[in-house]
Amino acid sequence: MRRTGAARAAALYGGGLALLLVGAFPLFWMVSTSLKPSGEIFATPPRLIPAHPTLENFRRLLTDTSFLTFFKNSAIVSLTTVALTLVVSALGAYGLTRFSFAGRDKVAGLILLTYMFAPIMIIIPFYILVRLLGIANTRLALVLSYTTFCLPFCLWLLRAFFQSIPLELEEAALVDGADRGRAVWYVVLPLALPGLIAAAIFTFILAYNDFLFALVLISSDELKTLPVGVNDLFNATIVDWGMIMAAGVMITAPAVAFFVAVQRYLIQGWGAGGVKG
Amino acid sequence: MRKNALAGWLLLAPALALLGGLVLFPIIYNAWLSLHDKHAFLTVQTFVGLRHYVYFAHDEEFWNSFYYGVVYAGSTMALQLVLGIPAALLLNEAFRGRNLLRGVVLFPYVIPTIVAVMLWKWLLNDSYGLVNHLLVTTGVVRVPLAWLGKDYIMWSLVLTSVWQFFPFVVVTYLARLQTIPPELYEAATVDGATAWRRFMHVTLPQTRNVLFVIVLLRSIWMFTKFDTVWLMAGEGGVSRYIRTLPVYAYARSFTYLQAGMGAALAVIMFVLLLVATAVYFRVFRQEEALA
Repeated sequence: MRRTGAARAAALYGGGLALLLVGAFPLFWMVSTSLKPSGEIFATPPRLIPAHPTLENFRRLLTDTSFLTFFKNSAIVSLTTVALTLVVSALGAYGLTRFSFAGRDKVAGLILLTYMFAPIMIIIPFYILVRLLGIANTRLALVLSYTTFCLPFCLWLLRAFFQSIPLELEEAALVDGADRGRAVWYVVLPLALPGLIAAAIFTFILAYNDFLFALVLISSDELKTLPVGVNDLFNATIVDWGMIMAAGVMITAPAVAFFVAVQRYLIQGWGAGGVKG
Repeated sequence: MRKNALAGWLLLAPALALLGGLVLFPIIYNAWLSLHDKHAFLTVQTFVGLRHYVYFAHDEEFWNSFYYGVVYAGSTMALQLVLGIPAALLLNEAFRGRNLLRGVVLFPYVIPTIVAVMLWKWLLNDSYGLVNHLLVTTGVVRVPLAWLGKDYIMWSLVLTSVWQFFPFVVVTYLARLQTIPPELYEAATVDGATAWRRFMHVTLPQTRNVLFVIVLLRSIWMFTKFDTVWLMAGEGGVSRYIRTLPVYAYARSFTYLQAGMGAALAVIMFVLLLVATAVYFRVFRQEEALA
């Protein structure tokens, strides 16, 4: 191995550079285009870095379109989904790990089974059901659908985390006079924090990214979330590439920021169960 | 304290209500709906038995979307492995900047689909796209290619999808690579095994099971992928050259408003996946027995 040290380093860094280009260059190009005045966007040969960077594309996006409304809707829906999913799946996972009852493992297995269904396979009855319940074209319909689709994964993830927390710790807190709620709040949840964070990221990314449910369940413009709203912008007229790339940057920023901030927890979560997509 | 069954069920109740009401019930309702003629939002419906299934058996559009779906899922899955496994092997080696690169590789997977598709449509734009510019200036092609026209739209879709989803393969494979005991490699190196032989005789057998799962999950998820495919071409024009089963089911239900037919397509998709998974498990287990 020593003899081929130089060749090895060359292969590693060559491969690394290629991977860096594949992963990051398209995004770099998006940012670069979003900062170019329209003359430069269509210049031949294209410039890697804008000669006269401008925020004009962002200004047009924010003032001439409903982008901010879409943004607000996406934020409300995604964050509500995260909160609801965490509460429901933490309760369920606690029930599955701290109480023994007949059929417990069967229930857990059945929950995992629902994870195998892609949204497209149930979107039609789902749509009819939502109309029947009178919640078509509401944010509530979106929150409920995303929560349902994130639940199986989050429940299993939190179940694995709760199982790894020794019962003795909780019992010790109870002996010390804490009631059950306090024991869970101060002992169990802090220890399961990496799992809760991984579940939150998974849920946020799924809810923030979803296109199908938003396309089918939402019909009025003022309730549309980013993916559907921006797709409408894209289809509306002759494509304004500068503005579309600016929208891309603005949509990507929260997802990447959220992700980078808590990435190490996500890797743990990934190890525990995989991420659907 | 641990024998309290009622408390267990109560804690699970919200989750079970949501899953039962919004997943299990729709699945059953969907199967029933597929036996009916029903408008997507009018309430009238008539029982037609298996007529929709018989119709699709002779429907050219159905077989086309089945074919496109298999081509799409098969090629994207294979290319994700071709790109993802070497990337994971690379990121398992020790070198400076490795952690940064591990983060960067995840970018395509984290950005929303709408952004990935718009970005690649811009890169592949026939007149001003960077890809055509590079191909023409390096002399690979003489005239710019119409990447989003009918001849190349499937290529563009595959390219975009592979870029978007290969990080899943990287992360999953890397997680397994990190748990292979180093002693196995040391022993192989002492025996004079080359890098290729170490891969074939240590890495591959050790990662066999995770590869099995990756291939299964990625095939299922690519076969049922809706958003990337739909966003790539919408519903008109060239979209029929990439119309996979999920897109066809959507079109039947929400464009033609034939909910019963859409439901039948969903059932067919489900059965196809079930059969494919069963066959896959069988073949894999037989291989296991032979090895």
